[in-house]
Amino acid sequence: MGLERHCWVQTESPLKYEKKCCPLSPDFGGDFIRPLLNSSSPFIRFTSSKPISSLFTGDRFLSASIEYNDGSSSSISPLSFSFAFSTLRSSVESNDGIWNSRSDPDFDNSHPKPNSTRKGEVSDLKMQLRQLAGSRAPGTDDSKRELFKKVISYMTIGIDVSSVFSEMVMCSATSDIVLKKMCYLYVGNHAKYNPDLALLTINFLQKDCKDEDPMIRGLALRSLCSLRVANLVEYLVGPLGLGLKDGNSYVRTVATVGVLKLYHISSATCVDADFPTMLKHLMLSDPDTQVVANCLSALQEIWSLEASKSEEASREKEALLSKPVVYYFLNRIKEFSEWAQCLVLELVAKYVPSDSNEIFDVMNLLEDRLQHANGAVVLATIKLFLQLTLSMTDVHQQVYERIKAPLLTLVSSGSPEQSYAVLSHLHLLVTRAPMLFSSDYKHFYCQYNEPFYVKKLKLEMLTALASESNTYEIVTELCEYAANVDIPIARESIRAVGKIALQQYDVNAIVDRLLQFLEMEKDYVTAETLVLVKDLLRKYPQWSHDCIAVVGNISSKNVQEPKAKAALIWMLGEYAQDMQDAPYVLESLIDNWEDEYSAEVRLHLLTAVMKCFLRRPPETQKALGDALAAGIADFHQDVHDRALFYYRLLQYNVSVAERVVNPPKQAVSVFADPQNSEIKDRIFDEFNSLSVVYQKPSYMFTDKEHRGPFVFSEELGNLSIGVESASNVVSTQMLEANDNDLLLSTSEKEESRGASSNGSAYNAPSTDGSSNQLLATHSPQPSMAIDDLLGLGLPVAPNPAPSPPPLKLNARAVLDPSTFQQKWRQLPISVSQEYSMNPQGVAALTTPQSLLQHMQGNYIQCIASGGQAPNFKFFFFAQKAEESSTFLVECVINSASCMAQLKIKADDQSTSQAFAALFQSALSTFGMT
Amino acid sequence: MIDNGFPLTTEPNILRQMIASPNIVSKMLSVATGNSSNVSNTLPDATASCVPWRITDLKHTNNEVYVDLVEEMDAIINSDGALVKCEINGEVQVNSHLSGLPDLTLSFANPSILNDVRFHPCVRFRPWESHQILSFVPPDGQFKLMSYRSNVIHLQGQKVEEYSDICKATANLRFWDMPYQCFADLTSNHGAVNILANKTCSWSIGRIPKDKAPSMSGTLALETDLERLNVFPTFQVGFRIMGVALSALQIDKLDLRNLPNRPYKGFRALTQAGEFEVRS
Repeated sequence: MGLERHCWVQTESPLKYEKKCCPLSPDFGGDFIRPLLNSSSPFIRFTSSKPISSLFTGDRFLSASIEYNDGSSSSISPLSFSFAFSTLRSSVESNDGIWNSRSDPDFDNSHPKPNSTRKGEVSDLKMQLRQLAGSRAPGTDDSKRELFKKVISYMTIGIDVSSVFSEMVMCSATSDIVLKKMCYLYVGNHAKYNPDLALLTINFLQKDCKDEDPMIRGLALRSLCSLRVANLVEYLVGPLGLGLKDGNSYVRTVATVGVLKLYHISSATCVDADFPTMLKHLMLSDPDTQVVANCLSALQEIWSLEASKSEEASREKEALLSKPVVYYFLNRIKEFSEWAQCLVLELVAKYVPSDSNEIFDVMNLLEDRLQHANGAVVLATIKLFLQLTLSMTDVHQQVYERIKAPLLTLVSSGSPEQSYAVLSHLHLLVTRAPMLFSSDYKHFYCQYNEPFYVKKLKLEMLTALASESNTYEIVTELCEYAANVDIPIARESIRAVGKIALQQYDVNAIVDRLLQFLEMEKDYVTAETLVLVKDLLRKYPQWSHDCIAVVGNISSKNVQEPKAKAALIWMLGEYAQDMQDAPYVLESLIDNWEDEYSAEVRLHLLTAVMKCFLRRPPETQKALGDALAAGIADFHQDVHDRALFYYRLLQYNVSVAERVVNPPKQAVSVFADPQNSEIKDRIFDEFNSLSVVYQKPSYMFTDKEHRGPFVFSEELGNLSIGVESASNVVSTQMLEANDNDLLLSTSEKEESRGASSNGSAYNAPSTDGSSNQLLATHSPQPSMAIDDLLGLGLPVAPNPAPSPPPLKLNARAVLDPSTFQQKWRQLPISVSQEYSMNPQGVAALTTPQSLLQHMQGNYIQCIASGGQAPNFKFFFFAQKAEESSTFLVECVINSASCMAQLKIKADDQSTSQAFAALFQSALSTFGMT
Repeated sequence: MIDNGFPLTTEPNILRQMIASPNIVSKMLSVATGNSSNVSNTLPDATASCVPWRITDLKHTNNEVYVDLVEEMDAIINSDGALVKCEINGEVQVNSHLSGLPDLTLSFANPSILNDVRFHPCVRFRPWESHQILSFVPPDGQFKLMSYRSNVIHLQGQKVEEYSDICKATANLRFWDMPYQCFADLTSNHGAVNILANKTCSWSIGRIPKDKAPSMSGTLALETDLERLNVFPTFQVGFRIMGVALSALQIDKLDLRNLPNRPYKGFRALTQAGEFEVRS
């Protein structure tokens, strides 16, 4: 059958069709689209062809409904209709009472306040329930329902109804499923706080577990497991065992979760009754997928909690990840519901395929999951694909190409919240592989209507994927946003332009654009741009002439924001010789010293006026004097100190002052990245979780007790180093390393914070030195403090611990790269330290290969190496001679500074120190022979 | 539907079976019986069937199936009239009222224009992978068979007038984030201009006339100390074109098997503006 491109092509019964597709109302489109978009199919009949009245009998009603329907027949929706109907109904009721107004009493006087006057009503209820308990008269169930409803509604608003417990239980002897459900709900809520009374319910629950209706069996079993009373678990075992073998899948579904509940109430009972084994059997054989999925999640939880206690459980936990089990799930995955599919995909993500063929098999099998309508399934599949191919670079790239389209579709369909979550994942991928996305930048253009958080993320992504090929288009688009009515977005986009300029080598056009921003004469645009121009000049001093010409035209009165003002002042000081009126501008700023509330600006003002003075002394002398006087009188400690420092420096020697304040500068090559790569990798490992949305690894935002065993053990590992180290040497070393890190990061921070660092960071080696000394003197103390903090009561001078038995390594250790990668990801860092290499070793290290051979001689194998002088990076591994315990080492050697950074991970934490020593000694003999 | 914290089903058709939507009959029943719960007492059979999205043993007196292509066009047009970004998100919506367990096959004339597709769980994957054919056993009633994304714009380079008689448009302009003082005098040569209380100007153009280009002009009073407007407002445009899928996706044919008698088949297409904005 051929098709024409008409609205509709009909094959049969044209008459009926005509009616449907050509409504005659003026609102042609509206009428047409409505049934299309409507989700409720029965409703379409009213809106299009059939008169609404045909559904009713009775004349009064008919006329009323038509009247109601008249005005809004085309736009009526199910919701508004039901509303319309209810109003209709009430009006009919009030008019002549055709409709017996039997409204629910408890909902009419609903939401009573929890107060003492209710006490009487509760005891009233109690009385009524007691009367009904034994009655078998017809209609009892209905009145019971009313009473139960009341009890439940009191319970939900927080009134204490525990006093009617026994009456409720007495009334529960009924075959009515609604009554049973309400009763179970009540019992489940109150059993925990009335363990004695809960015993009363066991009997009837157990009886219901043998009911012939599977719904009742399931419900009863569920309630039985929800009692959560520890001394009643003995009654649970029997029904649960029966439930697991039940013929109905609903009961089995409930029973599998019941086992997990039992485990949480009393793990010993659960394990003794051999439920985990039954679950395993069920998981591998049950025809119902929901039962299988529940078994899987229950078993995962039970065995991962059990694993720490027994050897067998941890073996079982491993067995869940064995090839037959994983393949079993993969083959059935299409039958599962979406949630269960996510569960399975998560399981598969933990599985380590033996070779690349297997990886391809898994990926081919799951390929169609990428086209699933459910976003969670798509994301879980993507995570799996990314993790599987980590070791295969080219396939990994292909995966990126493949997942792009589904992700972009997910972004554009659905709510802003959903697209934000997906965009966060895309953002992560973009930052990892900007090149692969560089042609898709248009997808990240902001739409006018999008919420701020989506726009901001999109701007970040545009910044991240700007490359030579697309910079022009991206910057053009960003400039559109700068003129946007939305001020925060305008600011963000200007910052984004600046960031792109700092990334690119060819910044010609971008600088022009930035300078155009300055001509827009809007204060926030000017402010943001000034900060950026300052950063640009720090990186590309060659642009100073163009920039300074424009910046010079800006009146300092138009700049109010402290950051922008500081940037402007920095430029005035730095380029004093190029700007004609720099001294006078500074002078006028100093005149308003009192009004300047920001200390940052005042600090910059001091430095700038110093620089200006050193270049153009005669013009600036007066301003400098005023500034120093004002600065010394300043109440802010830093400003005061800096003014005093400059004053004394000038007093001492002007040429020294020149060297301190105005030394020749190097252009900043790379601005510090606030997030280090390890954190980014960690976030990548936690793909498809909140970590990506927060842009933080999970240990940063979860409480300790909710963290997985993995992170926890890492901390343990770190602590154990401090405790076990024989002479505190290592811990001190580590502390120093940490302190160095801290120092590094603060100085980096200063660097990125702005112009002040340009003054101070360059001319302040002395401060660095002093702080080093400071740290050096303090360093022994913190280590003791830590020992004390550990609360282990270690003596201040610890006894020399028994030296560990000498560690012997396996001469022929074998480890394949993917296992290495897997382990490296899973294991915590047990030792991390810096080690200074001897010069001979460094001299011998011309190529990575030379070190490899040397280390092999010491039974330490290399799995990957790379880099060029002066930076080399190696990944080593070694195995213990007797057992299969593995050590993994990341070693970064800088041959210029003769430093080696070691990160050691070990299967067996306790021997990692010994191995570290071994590794160092091996490293120290390098180049000696 | 969540069962004890665990999701039981998400299939709308099944949900509708489990929880009666508030309709007249249920209202009357609840009034008559005093039972206000909408949740049915029995589990739908389909939750246990092999085709979980379909009710077993369906019987319709009229067998009919309608396929709709609904497309939304997201686009940004800059002040020079150039297309900055353009993308089409489309859906294939099916409304089926078919008895028994029918097996449907839907094929497109030009499936290559689809960038990315997502399917309802009922769609079998293999036929799509090998021949770009949608083969499925449909749920009953209205459902979204497939959603797709396409970058190919059929409209590009062609005359817009072609669609003018079937296209209806509105344009909205928000003033409230501009430095504008409550005075605006706007008129247009076609359609109605309304300035709403929330400082939004809504211009309903309606059917675009063939003989003239609709335009709107007028004056705005700015704040007193502003010399020129330095923010550029964005127009949001809404339109609707009946009978045309802008991505030019065409349904080739729909085969039905496993049916007692021949059903009615219907197809139609519709394009609307999604996030369609014009910068100034």
